Amino acid sequence: MATREPETGWHGEQSDVNHLRGRAFEATCLALTAFGLVSVLLLLLFVAKDAFRPLSADTGWLATYAATVLVPLAALGVYYYRLDEPAGEVAYVTSGLPVVGLLLTGGFAVLFIELLSVLEWFALLISLAVAGGLIVAHGRLRSKAALERLAVMFLAPILTVFGLPPTEFNWFVTDAAAALGLDFGLYYRVISLREAIMLLPFVPTDWAMLLLTLVLPVAGAAGWFVGQRRDSRRDSLAVVGITTVFAVLGVVAGPLLGIGTDIWLLLITFAILPLGVYVEGVVRRGEGVRGLAFPVIAVLGVAVGSVVTGVLGFAGPESWLDWGFLTSATSRTAADAGIYPAMVGSVMMIIVIVLTTFPVGVGAAIYLEEYAPSTGLMGKFVTLIEINIGNLAGVPSVVYGLLGLALFIRILNWPQGSVIVAGLAVGLLILPIVIISAQEAIRSVPDSLRQASYGMGATRWQTIRQVVLPEAIPGILTGTILALGRAIGETAPLLMIGAAASVRLAPNSFFDVASMMPRQIFTWSSELDPAFRHGVLAAGVVTLLAVLLVMNATAIVIRNRYQRTG
Amino acid sequence: MTENEMTSNESTESTSTAEAAASSPDPSGDPLVEQSIDVEGTNETTGTTGKPVIESRDLNVFYGETQALQDVNLAIPEKQVTAMIGPSGCGKSTFLRCINRMNDLIDAARVEGDLYFEGKNVYDDDVDPVALRRRIGMVFQHPNPFPKSIYDNVAYGLQIQNQTENLDEKVETALKRAALWDEVKDQLDKSALDLSGGQQQRLCIARAIAVDPDVILMDEPASALDPIATSKIEDLIEELAEEYTVVIVTHNMQQAARISDKTAVFLTGGELVEFDDTDKIFENPDSQRVEDYITGKFG
Repeated sequence: MATREPETGWHGEQSDVNHLRGRAFEATCLALTAFGLVSVLLLLLFVAKDAFRPLSADTGWLATYAATVLVPLAALGVYYYRLDEPAGEVAYVTSGLPVVGLLLTGGFAVLFIELLSVLEWFALLISLAVAGGLIVAHGRLRSKAALERLAVMFLAPILTVFGLPPTEFNWFVTDAAAALGLDFGLYYRVISLREAIMLLPFVPTDWAMLLLTLVLPVAGAAGWFVGQRRDSRRDSLAVVGITTVFAVLGVVAGPLLGIGTDIWLLLITFAILPLGVYVEGVVRRGEGVRGLAFPVIAVLGVAVGSVVTGVLGFAGPESWLDWGFLTSATSRTAADAGIYPAMVGSVMMIIVIVLTTFPVGVGAAIYLEEYAPSTGLMGKFVTLIEINIGNLAGVPSVVYGLLGLALFIRILNWPQGSVIVAGLAVGLLILPIVIISAQEAIRSVPDSLRQASYGMGATRWQTIRQVVLPEAIPGILTGTILALGRAIGETAPLLMIGAAASVRLAPNSFFDVASMMPRQIFTWSSELDPAFRHGVLAAGVVTLLAVLLVMNATAIVIRNRYQRTG
Repeated sequence: MTENEMTSNESTESTSTAEAAASSPDPSGDPLVEQSIDVEGTNETTGTTGKPVIESRDLNVFYGETQALQDVNLAIPEKQVTAMIGPSGCGKSTFLRCINRMNDLIDAARVEGDLYFEGKNVYDDDVDPVALRRRIGMVFQHPNPFPKSIYDNVAYGLQIQNQTENLDEKVETALKRAALWDEVKDQLDKSALDLSGGQQQRLCIARAIAVDPDVILMDEPASALDPIATSKIEDLIEELAEEYTVVIVTHNMQQAARISDKTAVFLTGGELVEFDDTDKIFENPDSQRVEDYITGKFG
C-alpha cells in the first residue's frame, strides 16, 4: 500500500488537482470561436453597407424610419422575449410566411414569364392529373397485378405528357406495323394529351386555367389539412370557398388596382392563403395572439415612415440593391445594371439539379443502406464504393466543371454554357453530398422499427416505403437543401462549362445559354468601373446570400419540426 | 391504488409459489445427454394439451464462428403458453427468432437443421419468410410502435397484407383483445409515441394480433416495463393463449412459473437442457443444472 505525502491535500490551497491547462484551453477555444464569428459578421456588414449605402440617405430619413419601424419592432421583440414567448413564435411565423410566400410568387411569376405560358402549364398539369387518375383507376380495378401497375405507373405519365415518340425511334411499333404490312410514315406518332390540349381551338382564359390548376388544388390541400387538424368538414370547405371568392374578387378588382390577374392569383395561393390559415388558427387557439402585432406594426411603420419622409422631403439612400437591380439585366452603366437574367439562370439550374440529383442521390442512398450486402466479397465492394463516394465529396469543384465540359459538351454536343449543362455539372458536384446526407438520415431510423415491420410480415419494399422513408424524409430534405445551397454558389464549374459572362435576356429553355448569379458576380468583379466592383458586386453578393439564407432557413425549419414530432 | 395493491399481492404470491417450487430438490442428476427432448414422449406426458405446432430437430445456429444453439429438439404445443428461460446469451432469443426467420435479417447468422411449422420445414427453399411472418407474429423486448397514429399502428399489418375491408372494425377488435381499447378509444388519431411504455407494449401486441396470426412470439415483452404494466401484460398473455399459440422468452423465472404451461430451460452454450410442463420444471426438474439455475445457485 502506497501512502500519501501528508502535505498533499484535497481542499483549499493544497489541492493537488491542476485546472490551469484546462482553463487555458477553454479560453483559447472561446477566443478562436469569437474571432471567426466576428470576422464573418464584419464581412457581411461591409458587403451590406456597400450594397445598400445607408449613409447616403438624409439623416432625417434614417431618423424617421428608425422611429417608425426599428424602435417599435425592437421594443416588441424585447417584450416577446421577456414576457410572451408563444407570441414571439407567432410573430416569427407571421413575418416569415409572407416573405416565403412572396418569394414563391416571384418564382412562379418568373416561371410563367420566362419558361412556359399559362396554357403550357395548364396542359402539363392536366395531363399529369389524368396520368395520376389512370394509375389510381388501374389500382382500383386490378389491385393484385403489381407488375402491371408498375408498367402503368411509368407509361401513363409518359403517354399523357410526351405521347409516343416518332416511329423512327419506336422500333417496336415500326416493326409490328411493318409485319402487318402497314406504313405509318417515318414521323407518324401519337400525340400526347398535353399536346392535344395545346392544339385546342378554344382554351379558357389564363386566369381560369390558373384557378383550376393552381389556386384550387392548393386551396384543396390547405382545406384538407385544416379539416384533418380540426376534424371538421365545414372548416375545410370554408377554406376552399373563401379562397375561391378572394381569387374571383381579385380577378375582377385586380386590373383596377393595377395588379395583373396572374400575379394576384399567385399572391392568393402562396402568400395570403397560408397566412390566413395560420392567423385564423392562432386567433382560434387564443395563444400568442399578441404576436400578430409584429407584422402589423412593421407594415404600419413603413407606411407612416414613407408618408413622413415624403412630406418632409427627406431623400432615401441611393442603394445599389433595389427593385430595378432585381428586375433588369446587366448593363454597361453601373446604375442600370441588374441581376434578373442571372437569377433566372440560377433558378433554372436549381430546377435541373433537383430533378436529376435528388432522385439519383436518394436512390443510391436507399440502395446502399437498405439493400446492399454487408458481408462477403460484395460487401467489400460496397464498402469500397462508400469510401469513394466520400472521396468524391472532396474533389475540387473545378474538376467537376472539367468533367461536365468533357461529358456534356464534347461528347454529347449540348450547347456550351446552357442551363442543362450547368445544372448537370453542378448536380454531379453535389451528388456525393446528397448521397451521404441521405444515407445518414436513413441510418438514423431506429432498427427496431424495421424489425417491427419485418416481424409483421412486411416485405422489404413495404418496410422502406411505409416505415423507413417517412421517418427519413425530413433528414433527407434538410441535407439536400443544404447541398443545394452549396450548388447555387458554385462558380468554378460554371467557368469551365462556359456559362455566359453576362446575358441581357433570361433563358427561355433549358438548352439556352445562360448566366448564373455567381458567374455574373465574377464578371462584375473584373469590370473597370469601380462602381461595378464595389456597388453592383456587393448588391449581387447580398442577393445571392439572401437566397442562400432563405434556403438554409427552410432546411432548419424542416429539421426543427422533425425533431419536435420525432 | 387498488390496482397497485392487487399487483403487489399477486407478485408476492407467485414469488412464494416459485420459491416453494424451487425448494423441493430432486437429486436425480441424470446425465445431460439423456435430457435432450424426445418429441413424441413429451406429447404423451402432456396428453391433454394440443398437438405440436412448431417442432425443431437438431437445430444449430451460428453467428459467424460462434455457435448460438446446439442441437435443439423441441416441440411447442398449440394454444398454450410456452416459456423459454435461461441465463443471458444462452440462445433462447435466437431460438425464438429462428421460428419466424428473423435471423435471416442478420447477415452473419447461419442456421442448420430443421424447424417445422405445421409440418412444413420453414427453412425449405420454397418458403417465403415474409409469408411465414404473416402467420407468426412477434412482440419485441422494447416497445417499438411506429411513429404513426395509434390507429395506423394497428392497421399497418392489415394494410400491408391488403386486408382492408372493415378496417375500423378489425382495429377495434384487436385493441379490445389487447385490453387497450378503453384507454385509447378517444385518441386513435394521437401518436402512438405519446402512450406510456406499458400501453405501447400492449399496442404492439394489438398490432401483432390484428392480422390474426397462428403463433405469437414474445421476446421478453415485459422486461422494460414496471410491475403494474408487467402484470397487465401477463394477464393478457394468459387470455391470448386461449386462441393463439404463445411462445415467450423471459429472464424472469417467476413470470415463467406464473403464466406458462410448458417451460424450456436453455443453459450456456445454446443447449436445451430440459423441456417439460412448467410445474415439473419448477418443482421437480430432472437435471441438476436446471435445479441449480432455478434455485439461483448458477447463472
